[in-house]
Formats: sequence, C-alpha cells, structure tokens
Amino acid sequence: MPNIDGGHYFLTALLPIETTPFVASDGVSRLPVQMVREALFRMPTAKQSEETKDSKDNSPFASNLRTHFARLVVIDDCVDNGRNPENALAAALKDHNPLAAQPVDQLNAPYLLFSADFDADPGGLNSYLEELYATVGDELRKPFRHCVGFDEVKDPKSFRRYVKRCQIETTMPFNDYWIDDPKLPSLSIMAVLAPIVLAALAALGSAVAWLSGCGGWPWGWIALAATAATLLLILGAYRVVLWLGSRPFPAAPHSDLKSILKALYLQPRFLRFAIDMQGKDDAAIHAAFRSFVDEYQPDKVDSPTQSPGVISS
Amino acid sequence: MKRELELADIQGIVINGYARGGFPKARHLFLHVADPLAGRRFITQIFSSVTTSVRWSQDPPADGAGVASGSATARPKVTLNVGFTLYGLHALGVPVNTLRLMPTEFIEGMAARSKLLGDVGDSAPDRWDRIWQENEGDRAVHIWITLNAQMQADGSPVPELEQKTAWLRELCAESKGGVTILSGHAPAGGDYQEASAVLARGADGQMRATPNEHFCFHDGIGNPVFEGQLKGKEEQSDVIGGGKLLPDGSWRPLATGEFLLGYADEAQEVPPAPAPVEFSRNCTFMVYRKLHENVASFRSYIDKAAALYQAHCGIPSRDEARETIMAKMVGRWSNGVPLMVAPTFQEAQEFLERYKKAEKGADKAAYAALLRRFNDFKYRDDPDGIRCPMTSHVRRTNTRDMLDPESDPKKRTGSSLNDRRRILRRGLPYGEAPPGDPSVRDDGDHGIIFIAFCASLFRQFEFVQQQWIQYGLDFNAGNDTCPVSGQHGPDAKFVIPVDPESGQAPFICSGIPQFVTTRGGAYFFVPSITALRMIAMGVIDPT
Repeated sequence: MPNIDGGHYFLTALLPIETTPFVASDGVSRLPVQMVREALFRMPTAKQSEETKDSKDNSPFASNLRTHFARLVVIDDCVDNGRNPENALAAALKDHNPLAAQPVDQLNAPYLLFSADFDADPGGLNSYLEELYATVGDELRKPFRHCVGFDEVKDPKSFRRYVKRCQIETTMPFNDYWIDDPKLPSLSIMAVLAPIVLAALAALGSAVAWLSGCGGWPWGWIALAATAATLLLILGAYRVVLWLGSRPFPAAPHSDLKSILKALYLQPRFLRFAIDMQGKDDAAIHAAFRSFVDEYQPDKVDSPTQSPGVISS
Repeated sequence: MKRELELADIQGIVINGYARGGFPKARHLFLHVADPLAGRRFITQIFSSVTTSVRWSQDPPADGAGVASGSATARPKVTLNVGFTLYGLHALGVPVNTLRLMPTEFIEGMAARSKLLGDVGDSAPDRWDRIWQENEGDRAVHIWITLNAQMQADGSPVPELEQKTAWLRELCAESKGGVTILSGHAPAGGDYQEASAVLARGADGQMRATPNEHFCFHDGIGNPVFEGQLKGKEEQSDVIGGGKLLPDGSWRPLATGEFLLGYADEAQEVPPAPAPVEFSRNCTFMVYRKLHENVASFRSYIDKAAALYQAHCGIPSRDEARETIMAKMVGRWSNGVPLMVAPTFQEAQEFLERYKKAEKGADKAAYAALLRRFNDFKYRDDPDGIRCPMTSHVRRTNTRDMLDPESDPKKRTGSSLNDRRRILRRGLPYGEAPPGDPSVRDDGDHGIIFIAFCASLFRQFEFVQQQWIQYGLDFNAGNDTCPVSGQHGPDAKFVIPVDPESGQAPFICSGIPQFVTTRGGAYFFVPSITALRMIAMGVIDPT
C-alpha cells in the first residue's frame, strides 16, 4: 500500500470547496475559494527560510511532533491539454473533422489539496488526524471550513472521518532517509519460474504423447490440464511479484521526526566540538567529549533537542 | 555543416581575452543618456572605434587557417567595447516590442537580484560605490564602455588610453547633456573605474603584467572553449580542459549558443532572443562586478590557520602549511598548478621546476605538454575530494565531470551537468596590494573587476553564483559557501578532507572572515556590430 512507505504515512486528500457565493463579514459577496486562499495566505509557514526565520508565528503543523512535511494547495481546475493529437493522414482517411470541437473536461469544484508526510507510528492515519485536530483544530478550521460538508466536523473524531472520506491513494510517495541500501528480501527467479517451466514441459510432453497416439493414459486431457496449470501459475507468479513489490519499504533507522530533530540538534554542536578539538591532545579530547555527552545527551531523543518548524537551534 | 564565427560582427572582448593578449590596462566608463537623439548620435560617433573579434594582422596565424590578406586590421593601442543596460536601450529608443523579449534578470538588474547572488551584509547594494547606489532616474547607468590598453615599459598605460578617454569626454560635452559620463567610483569618485593586471618588475627592469590577483593566486585559467572560437591545432589543444567532456572521456568545444545569441546551445535549441533576429544574433550578455578583496584579512587568516594546520597535520614548514591551505581553498597552487595534477606541496614544486626548465628548453612539444596540464584534468578519480576538496573554488565553479550521476562506465554522461553553467571570464584586478607589504589593509583600494559573458545570465552566471559559490549542497557540503569568494556567515568553515585509510583526521578551517565583498555591478547587453548600427540608426523593426 503506497500510502505507507519507509515508516512514513503519505496522506493525500482532496477536499471539495463550496461553490455558492456568500455574504462575508465585510458585507460583500465572496466565493468560498477566495476565503480559502486568504486563510492559507494568513496561515504562518514554518520558520525555516530566510524570510520567515525571525517571524513571530510558526506553522500550526510545527506543534505536532510527527509531521515531516505538510502542504495545502488550492486546485482550481484540471488543465485542458488541448485536442487529442491525431495523425493528419489517418484523420483524413477516417473522415475526422478537425474543426469539430472535442470535449473540454473540468473539475466539478475547486479542491483543497491536503498532503502530509508523517510518522506512521503510533496509530497511523487515525491517531495523526485526531492528534492534529486536538492541538491545532482552530487554525485548520480557517481554510477547511469552506469545504463541502465540513460543518459536520465538530471534534477530532469527526475531523478524522471527514479527511478520510476525502482521501485518495498516494501513488508515488518519497522520502530519503536511507543512508545505505536496506536489506530487502529478494525473490529468486528460479523459484518463480521452475513450477511454470515444469508445468509447461508437462503440457508439451503430454501433447506430444497424445498426438503420437501413445496409449495408457488420457494424454489429451492431461495436456489440457497441464496447459491450464501453466497459465494459472503464470498468473499466480505475476500476482506474487506485484504483491511483494507493493509491500512498504522498511523504515530507515532513526527516520522518525523526533530522531531527526535530535540529529539536527547534535550535528552543528558536534561539528563545533570537532573544530575546537583540532590540535588538542587525547586526554583533553577525552575530557571534552565527556562534557559534550553530558551536556547534549546524544542517547536521549526527547531533550535536549531542536524544536520542530525552525531552521536551527 | 559548420560555419566560421562572424568575427567582424562580434565585439572583440567577447572572443579575445585582452588581459592576456597584451592589453593589461583597462578603464570602465558608465554613461547616462538623457536624450535619445543625442544618445544615438554618440553611438554613431563611437561606432567605427568599436573593436571587433577579427584577428589583427600582427597576430600569429592560427594554424595556417590564417587571416585572408586585406581583411585584417592592425593591432590597436587601445580597444573599445560597449554594452547597454535595459534602461539604456530604452533611452536610446529601442522599441518595447524588442525589449519585452529580454530575460527577467537583465530587466531587474544586478542590485535587485542581490539576495539571490548573496550580495548581503557588506556586499549589499546600499554599501556599493556611489555610482551604483545612485543608479536610477537621471543618474541611471545606461551605457558601459571599456577601454583596454597596451602598457609601457614603466608599467603605465600607453598615452592613447588617456587620449581616447578625453575624446569620449569631448563627445559627451558636445552632446550638451544628452549623454553624460557618470562619476562616483570609489575611492576618489572619478569618472572611470581603473583596472590593471598586477605588475612585477622583470630582470631587465621593465614592468611586466602577471596573471595574479591580490591574494596572489594565478587567475583566469579555466576559460571555456566553444565551437567556432578557435581553429585547427589551437582548438585541439585548448579544448582539453576548456571544452565539454563527452561520456567517452574526450573533450569537445561547447555549443556556440552558450555564449552568443542566435545559435544552438547545449540543449540543442536556439533559445528565444529579442526580435528581430538580426538584432540579437552575435550579441551576448555581460556581468560587471567590482569585487573588493580584504587582502589583510586574507593574509592574516591564512597565517593563523596555517599555524593550526601545521600542528594538526604535522607539516614540516609553516610555508608549506600556508601554501597548502591556500591551494586546498582554491583547487590550484598559487602558481596555477592544479591540485588534481600535483596534490602535494612537493609534487607542485617538482612540477614547477620541470615547467620552468621546459619553458627555457628547446623541446617545444615537451613544454606544450606541460602547459596543457594546467587545464587537462578531471575529477572522476577523486570522488571524495581527497586531492582537491569538492568545495574548493575551481572545483565548485567549474565542476567538470564531478556531478556525473553515473558511475557505470557504459552510462557515463561526462560533464553534461556542467555544460550549461559555463561563463567566459574577461576580468582584471584593480588597485594595488603588494605581496609581503605589511601596510596593506582591508580597506585599501584593491580587488577584481569581474567581467563574464554568457548567453543566459540566469542559467549560467547566476546559477554558479547562487548554487555553487553561495551554497554547498551539490558538493555534499550543506550550506558551506566558497572559502574564497563566498559570503561567509558568522562561523564560516571549509573542510579539507583526507583519505580515511590514512588514519589522519580532516582539517576544518573555521571562523573564516569575509574575503571578498561586492562594491557594485550591473548586467549589460553586449550588441553585435549589426545591432549597434541598428541602435545608432534607430531602425529596429521587431515586427
């Protein structure tokens, strides 16, 4: 299931936005999609760029210790790619009229895309959505409340139900926390092919026996059965290979958000340590490393560490 | 089929490196056009003095391809070249329908791109020379004119340089305010920016131009070589290290369209350019940057780091530690020998001795072979930067085959990720900062007038500046900037990797101060002779 890969859950949800204009608080008729855009514009982004690192507010997702990335985008419509291309000669022979209009497809409404990459454990999507709503529900409501049917959402449970109704499968998840190649089970080609080849040989042998009029056994029926078995085995092997391929990639070691924050916290401090130790003797380095370990506690993931949603600590 | 470049239509400074070609003295003048008619009259007046790329009659013939008799002009004492900002072209009456096809970065100009270029802090536009701070309204820079002059035995420029400057001043005076030369170049606020090769007195007492800049590095070696620029044996020799690397490891000239408009580039397409076609063909874009060098900071930092490096790595002499740190930062020893050719101090000394012997010897082929080694190298055999650090200046600005994602010899892509990021550099130092002189300070008048040509400022110059000088991700070095020319944050560092098998620890240079700051600059459109005539005559029809 590609929604989960490498220990992360990759959520993709498309929330339909209301299309009926309404009179906003300033007394002017507005479209819900305008309000969604405005709410998104006002929602703070993480303090992770030169422009925002000193800003007062942080992204609502930064108060969640499972979110690696989150993205909210308004999709107005699908893009029309123009006419279906056709070979000019073929079109002329088939008497297709290049002036006849082809349908131009449209979405039934604008959609709010909500995509997030978060730690699958503990509790997967259900617990993540409920946690998210419980902590920053008020801020999320501002863009979400203009979506169709969102008025049903009153609490974490109904928020979870709503988003899951709008969820679509993530078909191409990506994260990049594997440093070395993971050890993956590998399917032996021989193990897959051997039964197919045996069945095919049996089919071929019995067919030859039947055609050459050998007696003793009902060779014709045996040939038929062996052919059917060969086809079934091919189908089975195909299914097995696809099933094995669709299993999630194992989680990379230390690829949960807390460990990554701790790594980001330790990295510059260890670099500083390495710089300061240049030219020092072994005893001095040993003593300094002890106080480094005491101060920064590399084996403790929770603290001291870097807060989420900031560029450095 | 391949046609020769139209040298008589291309401005000389684009194709020829004047600094190395006997013109070590330069002046840059910046002008403002208040009246389109006066401006066009001025361009008409200088039109015949603009130096083209045609080979001069005294030039050594290029491998017999030679110059057709009668077509060559004599080598001038002073060359003249010209370029325009977007507002300059507009002030001269170039139609909007032509200008609307100019690229965004050229329209915005260099100061507006300061964050992208890393021109922040001491390099920010509000710290630039007055001429650049005032670059708007009736003091907007419209025209760039550069004069490159030959030198006299005492190190001063030939008198023709001052005569030509005086002539330009006269033309402006005649225009009665229609065209003015802008002043405000630091330190004296004069009406031109001087530039000159760093000079050294030869054994005969005469002054000679050196290829060095004020940090004492041999500068300007790895210039690109492109299709049509050179001929025959000259191309065959210079393309090694200067061209692009093919998957099979051979070198070829880069596509002409990387450096001139109107030709196919490395993407095998002719990119869009201002209309009409005859206006943009043989034109190019230019980067002008005044880069101040904090010479005292550089020298004292290298001394300080060398002391630590010597102790840390057990290097026998301080001088060797100093030279090695400088070489690791740049990727070349100060005399220009690449680290990829001579990775240790001893090897560099040996190479230089062989080179000096060959220079004086009779075996021309042996000398040429050694000369070629200054540029004939690849990074494939040094993937971890143990010989030449990945983040050294030359390795990050011209990555050669380093970024080839394929290690399988059958799938190699050569220098394909580098081929669209090359620039032609034509700069010269300015001011003086004699080596070993303890009175040299940071705030003296010394640095480099950086000049580069490329077909796309955004894709070539700005990319190299932003991604490779001011950032280190492509070299697995996080946000470490270039140790020499990068913007150095509060605790800038530079890592000198070592072979992990050696049991030694890498050395980290930390707390690197700012060595280079920007003092001004702009982007210019450098027209072909045809385009210049069209501008002068006011006859551009973009329809």
